[in-house]
Amino acid sequence: MKRNTWFRWGVTACASIIPLVLLAIVIFLLIDSWPAMRFNGWHFLVSNQWNLGNEYGDLVTVNGQQVPPGADYGIGFLIVGTLSSAFIALLLALPVSVAASAFLAEMVPKRLQNTASLMVELLAGVPSVVFGLWGLIVLVPFMNHYIYPGLTHVLGDIPFFQPPTGAGYGLLTSSVVLAVMIAPLITSTVRGAIENVPMVQREAGLALGATRFEVLVKTVIPGVRRVIIGAGILALGRALGETMAVLMVSGNALGYLPHNIYSPISTMASFIVSQLDSALQDASGMAEHALAEIALILFAITLIVNVAARGLLWLARD
Amino acid sequence: MKGMFKAKGLRTGSLVIKGVLAATLATASIGAANATTTIQETGSSLLYPLFNLWVPAYSKAHPDVQINAASTGSGTGIAQSIAGNVQLGGSDAYLSGAMMKKHPHMLNIPVAISSQMVNYNLPGLNGKHIKLSGPVLSRIYEGTATYWDDSAIKRMNPGVDLPHHRIVPVHRSDGSGDTFLFTQYLSFSHPYWHKKYGYGTTVNWPAVQGEIGATGNPGMVQALKDNPYSVAYIGISYKGQIDKDGLGEAKLKNRSGNFVLPTVETVPAAAAAMVPKTPKDERVSLIFAPGHNAYPIINYEYTIVSADQGDMAAPLKQFLNWAVSTKGGNASEFLKPVNFMPLPQKAAELTRAQIAKIH
Repeated sequence: MKRNTWFRWGVTACASIIPLVLLAIVIFLLIDSWPAMRFNGWHFLVSNQWNLGNEYGDLVTVNGQQVPPGADYGIGFLIVGTLSSAFIALLLALPVSVAASAFLAEMVPKRLQNTASLMVELLAGVPSVVFGLWGLIVLVPFMNHYIYPGLTHVLGDIPFFQPPTGAGYGLLTSSVVLAVMIAPLITSTVRGAIENVPMVQREAGLALGATRFEVLVKTVIPGVRRVIIGAGILALGRALGETMAVLMVSGNALGYLPHNIYSPISTMASFIVSQLDSALQDASGMAEHALAEIALILFAITLIVNVAARGLLWLARD
Repeated sequence: MKGMFKAKGLRTGSLVIKGVLAATLATASIGAANATTTIQETGSSLLYPLFNLWVPAYSKAHPDVQINAASTGSGTGIAQSIAGNVQLGGSDAYLSGAMMKKHPHMLNIPVAISSQMVNYNLPGLNGKHIKLSGPVLSRIYEGTATYWDDSAIKRMNPGVDLPHHRIVPVHRSDGSGDTFLFTQYLSFSHPYWHKKYGYGTTVNWPAVQGEIGATGNPGMVQALKDNPYSVAYIGISYKGQIDKDGLGEAKLKNRSGNFVLPTVETVPAAAAAMVPKTPKDERVSLIFAPGHNAYPIINYEYTIVSADQGDMAAPLKQFLNWAVSTKGGNASEFLKPVNFMPLPQKAAELTRAQIAKIH
């Protein structure tokens, strides 16, 4: 009995570390970003500039906070850049991943299945900075010279696809890098689910005279739709928070919104990295507080995405 | 006979062993007593290549001192030095008045003079040294001068066949001392830029069609190389890379209206004009110096040092005094590979007076 009590307390203590760490992060972000929230107000979420002010001027007091003269922060462009790049990435990755997982689970001969699946798992484990480097050296020039001119030629009549195309750094390039990163994640999850669909369902379909393709599209895929949604949302979360790969190919726009699918963007996570060094030179510390506020909002967006995922899963219940 | 030899051999052998043992113990104890001094440096990526040359040379002459240098960024250098995590914070810029008010014990110690190039990639014209001015560069970076054959650029470069191609402005997207220096040149030479965008390690760059934001000086060189018709500002320590890649280097208009390249004449000329204006704490911008032959974008490279060092004071002072001496770290064998210039004598005197304040 006594040993049992000890065990229970031990497990409870270990389990409570995770929510406590979460709570600690939220508290840290709230405290660190509090001066920035007071200084920036709601305008922070919608306006588009990142101005540290004159670092060499005397500090002035605005909204009760000391800042360099001319300081003005707004991250509308970062929110748009983060959401648009992540959603376009999901849009590109989801159909490909579902098709790939169906192929891996249904079409590949049994003896090759393990090897093929292992390769997907390996791809899912590649550090993101490697994708970033590949994106910078291979993808950026390739998009610039071949894909972008082609897209403007074919889709040039649709507003968001019109030229100018810029230099290959930008929204679509970032999304493609993100899509390549998240596709293996979705594929490996969905493949597992498809393999677990009971054989009797397939046999029943085939017995009714359906082709293998029809069985796949009408029986197997609908059967795993909750898994597809769940994997998609997890991948979206990864894309929203991706830092290094995006930093290397996004063009790092500062203070303006993308005007087409080719324009440079910045995302919240990569912006925190690229601006930290500058922020440390702000004597008032406000620039650093403002970066903490970005982190807090990124945290909130990730939370909202997860809640939305729960909602979607609930809607897709059997 | 044989036996005697053997015995003798043994005896000498043990003597040798004893001697070696004693010597080893002696060096070990010396090592233990002195190898405790480690000087940490972090900060500016522009200053880092110079530290990279200094460290092995200094360690060779002073085996009891170990120096660790890291290329992180000026902001990190300043913050870490103030926090006391490192003794030397490398920075392209001096601390602001507000920063000094908060941390009055910090010293801004120049160790060399650096400069910045404006580079371009114009197929066929990279060997020509196109002429550019602060106001023209502001218009390029604002997006109001959009083609290379813009009338203002043409007027400055008579006889040069400028192409009718869109200019691709490249700027740093990470916070950077290079952006600070470049935007200061634009601000000091063009009041309009000063009023509208100002200067800083990060500025709100206007959105220009086709512009590129690049990370770090290597990223700037890469973007320039990959994109014909682009223009970028790059630290002088990357001149070797620029020359190797066959990229162009612009002549910049100085305060007297002359177009100059950063050379062994024009950089010291600008420094000479600014040294008399350097205050005792050496916090001063050297940008857009007066003088017929002065190059407009030069700066002191600083180490940001706390005056309160305790036990570290003596080795730190010794190192800094070596670093700014023309017989030590300011010798051309160290500065030439990174294209820096030594501190002028008067500035070196001010610097030594500042080093003496470390205690």
